[in-house]
Amino acid sequence: MKLSGVLWALLTGAVLLFLLAPVAVLIFSAFDDGKFFRFPPRELSLRWFGAALDSPEYRGALINSTIIACVSTAISVTAGLMAATGLSRGGLKSRALVELLLLAPLTLPLVVWAIALLQIYARLGISGTFGGLVLAHAVITLPLSVRILLATLAGIDPQMEEAARSLGARPLRAFLRTTFPLALPGVLTAAVFSFLVSFNDVVVTTFIAGARWMTFPVRMYSQLRGQGVDPITLAIGAMIVALILAAVIAGELKFKWSRRL
Amino acid sequence: MLAAKSARGLVAPAVLLTAGVFLAPFLLLLAMSLWSQPPGSLMLDVTPTGEHYRRITTDSYYMTGLARTIWLSLATTAICAALALPLAWWIVRRAGRFRGLVLAVVLIPMVCGALLPTLGIVNLIGPLGVLNGTLKSLGLIDRSWKLLGTQAGILIGLVHAFLPLMVLPLVAAMDRLPRDAEGAAMSLGARRRAVWTRIILPLCAPGLLAGSALVFCATLTAFVTPLILGQGKIPTFATMAYQQASLVLDWPFASALAVVMLAILAAIGALGWAIRQALPGAAR
Amino acid sequence: MFGTGHFIRASLAAGAVLAAGAVAAQDFSGQTLVVGTWGGDIERLLKEHAAAPLEAATGAKVEFLLGGSGDRMSKIYAERQNPTMDATFQNIYEAPQLLADGLVVPPDPGSDMYKSVWEGMNEGCYAMSLVGLGIAYSKDLVSEPPEWADMWNPDYKGMIGMAPYPSSEGGGLLGVAARLEGTDEHDADAAFAKVAELGAPALVYTSLEEVFALMEAGEVAMAPMISGYVLAGLKEFPGIGFSFPTDPGPVLIRDMVCQVADSPNPELAEMFIGYALSAETQKAYAEEIYFGPTNSTVELSDAAAADTINSPDEVASLLQLDWSWLIEQRSDWTERWNKEILAQ
Repeated sequence: MKLSGVLWALLTGAVLLFLLAPVAVLIFSAFDDGKFFRFPPRELSLRWFGAALDSPEYRGALINSTIIACVSTAISVTAGLMAATGLSRGGLKSRALVELLLLAPLTLPLVVWAIALLQIYARLGISGTFGGLVLAHAVITLPLSVRILLATLAGIDPQMEEAARSLGARPLRAFLRTTFPLALPGVLTAAVFSFLVSFNDVVVTTFIAGARWMTFPVRMYSQLRGQGVDPITLAIGAMIVALILAAVIAGELKFKWSRRL
Repeated sequence: MLAAKSARGLVAPAVLLTAGVFLAPFLLLLAMSLWSQPPGSLMLDVTPTGEHYRRITTDSYYMTGLARTIWLSLATTAICAALALPLAWWIVRRAGRFRGLVLAVVLIPMVCGALLPTLGIVNLIGPLGVLNGTLKSLGLIDRSWKLLGTQAGILIGLVHAFLPLMVLPLVAAMDRLPRDAEGAAMSLGARRRAVWTRIILPLCAPGLLAGSALVFCATLTAFVTPLILGQGKIPTFATMAYQQASLVLDWPFASALAVVMLAILAAIGALGWAIRQALPGAAR
Repeated sequence: MFGTGHFIRASLAAGAVLAAGAVAAQDFSGQTLVVGTWGGDIERLLKEHAAAPLEAATGAKVEFLLGGSGDRMSKIYAERQNPTMDATFQNIYEAPQLLADGLVVPPDPGSDMYKSVWEGMNEGCYAMSLVGLGIAYSKDLVSEPPEWADMWNPDYKGMIGMAPYPSSEGGGLLGVAARLEGTDEHDADAAFAKVAELGAPALVYTSLEEVFALMEAGEVAMAPMISGYVLAGLKEFPGIGFSFPTDPGPVLIRDMVCQVADSPNPELAEMFIGYALSAETQKAYAEEIYFGPTNSTVELSDAAAADTINSPDEVASLLQLDWSWLIEQRSDWTERWNKEILAQ
């Protein structure tokens, strides 16, 4: 009994180490002073972090990524919350079909789809625009929002909201006063994951983004296909990962994110 | 209950968005898979032809590539299940106050995107990476252990990327198990192994199935991981589609590849659905 | 060295830049020129030497669209009715195809910038830089700068790194292999059979870093690579060398700069290309990243001259392939490459 407990903990520890190691190595390698990472490193330094903070290109790319992710998240979560409410409270006959449609983008190989989307955008004259890019990001994050919010609403009793309405509250007000506060942790979770998917996307953005809206991952990917990844990129990546890590730990402890996926 | 009219109104924005930005290009992709390119040109000729489908289904190269992709997906799913079962169990029954922290660690690959962790894996298992560097300085090996550019390397990356998709549904399923189920069974004389095979696994089956479906789909269309960790030597569906779409610029053929893959996915989805219906307690 | 021809061309080029400045007297402020190129050093050099002066002279803004050149090809074809890019950098493997499909403005043989470039180099678009496909090698495993034939030494079987196909590097390797067999790239069977003798590649690289790491680890002996970045990257890797073979010579590879047809800002695009082809930009390319100038008036430092293709003799010694033919074979050869070389 005791021995098996130890084995169990060791196994768990090994799996957790496996999950953590690549990210830990990534962060560590950003401290390597050389232009190309090798282990053991010859010298450690903070110079790439300094260079990262000084570079206007990277700052611009990070700001772009953040703006795009914020706007597409707002669209995705708003549309997702409305859809989840309609689906879970509406008793629609076509519910299964609508759910299938909304979740379908999860299964599509994005590389080929992005080229088709670009052709349509070009016809409409919106390729390379902010609007076009944000809509594309909203669509790839929408399935996630819908999934999370459907699960959230399924756990909330609709009777409160109905009671509020039977007492004469307008529907929107009734929703905002009763269901919404209860759904807030789910909404935040959906927002965070939509944000991350949008912020990290490479494949769709490479094709759809115009020069004005070059994002950080696209910049990184373009290096990966050329000279190799710049240590500055690695330093920024390390900072992003560290930030995400902190956010996830806080989110998990505060909002129990993992239960909502 | 909402009135059907307002329910439709609520669903409309999401449906319109998905229909306009997702479905329309998807239909174009379907149509494109039947088009062709005139000789010496990369422009599109819209006369319908089934040539690309004939080429994919009759050429062993593409069928092998698709089969390899499915095999990698199955292997990833199986390894994820094998790792996630004990981990999820530990989280649910033993983690105690570390539960939140451990779950946060589990979420990492999911929230960091494909690119950054993959670069980390390159620096971990590459010829000048941490693993080989350590083994070499300990004098255990003198030529580096080759993981990049092999199926094993790709599997490491895929399992890492998609393990959370397996762990989370399993944790949810195990949370719903009555806490004293195994104690009761053991007090009735059941052996540990029997408790697992007779009680825990069957009750977790819906979670396992949901996790498997997520991991399988994600692996099938994964692009960055096999491209970088396979060093271009292990063609999978997504890297073949990328080569055709972005390097050869044969969009009709790339579209046909995507459609074939999607058909396979749909078939597997239908199979999964049928299994789920057959399971006890199918209604969630 | 400094003949009359040179002098005339120098003044023509100077005139071109002045002319660009004169046209700019009309104000372009508020307009944005979009240029597609590679991220990294090239983006930085273009920003400093072409975009900055253009912005100063015209009041317009220049923005760069970064990515691989294949991604840009996709974009140009997808947006053919409504282009958003004005100018784009492509390689020799792509530019003639764009011209054949009418998606770029043909280079104007009457223009000064056309004439400032080495004769015969503007193929499809304007030639931006000249680089040679040579051999990067591990000094530990290969004692002397290798010739092409040395790659076929049985000791190195399976230790050769290759670029993904289709690419200039892949086309170049097939062209060299065919010549070693006494024929040329039009004999596909001979070319593929010879390349297949190298064994499956030790890796298929998409970035230089990957090749260098494996060479340091002693797992890749040689890789056909394009001079330029490689020579710049070697400073970090003392154990790696680069050889310009002589029999046959290095394969001539060119980066091209194209003006996209029907783009939103044609005048600005043309001016940008003028700045990109100017002696100043090309000198920076050569001095900093060892990309040989196409502008025949550029004068280089000794160090840069030694590592770049910059004299008529050097240009003449390069192996020129029939790129139009290679491009036409794109789809069939990709399939053969996948099956006969990668999947051995």
